[in-house]
Amino acid sequence: MNLLVGIDIQPIDEVESSLRTFGARYRRLLFTDRELENCGDNSATSSRLAARFAAKEAVLKILDIQDVVPSWRSIEVGGVSDCRPEMNLYGVAAELARLQGIRKVFVSLSRSGDVAVATVVASAWSQSQGVSP
Amino acid sequence: MSAIDHRICEVLKQHGRLPIEVGSLRDDDDLYEHGLTSHASVNIMLALEDEFDVEFPDVLLRKGTFQSIAAIRSALVSLGVEVS
Repeated sequence: MNLLVGIDIQPIDEVESSLRTFGARYRRLLFTDRELENCGDNSATSSRLAARFAAKEAVLKILDIQDVVPSWRSIEVGGVSDCRPEMNLYGVAAELARLQGIRKVFVSLSRSGDVAVATVVASAWSQSQGVSP
Repeated sequence: MSAIDHRICEVLKQHGRLPIEVGSLRDDDDLYEHGLTSHASVNIMLALEDEFDVEFPDVLLRKGTFQSIAAIRSALVSLGVEVS
């Protein structure tokens, strides 16, 4: 089993600026309906979206990406389960994870001051190790 | 500098958040090595769509598309933008 760790940091003011400049196009390009709903539309929205963008980038760092790059919307910070946000992968991201033997990705989000940070951890089971538990 | 390159550089100046002077970049310089982030590349793509009235298809939404001024120009030409 290989332990995979990805981390990313995102300045919140950059997300604020993008929301002001590109609005709905920016939201729809990067975030799923569920993420947009969970982040609301208030003073905390930009920092929440920044944390989610960092999570997407952190996941991209643990995937073995070749020719086909997952879209940002195929990597989703979903709802909260047992006080922790869930990481959901769809489409190309899910297929890449499957090929690497990744069954679940865990994520931790943090926001402080001007930045948002996300760390993801996943265990990958190689085919030579047989079926993962 | 061609008209298209001038417009690309203006987009880079406004949205690239590069820590260096855009005018000092050569055609094939790696923008990521010069500080371009993934988030800034998103802004560049959206700004290029506005500037050139094009839409980037999913197949072009990859790191290599925004790797250099030459790569951006090539992507725009593939979308029907004229070089002159």
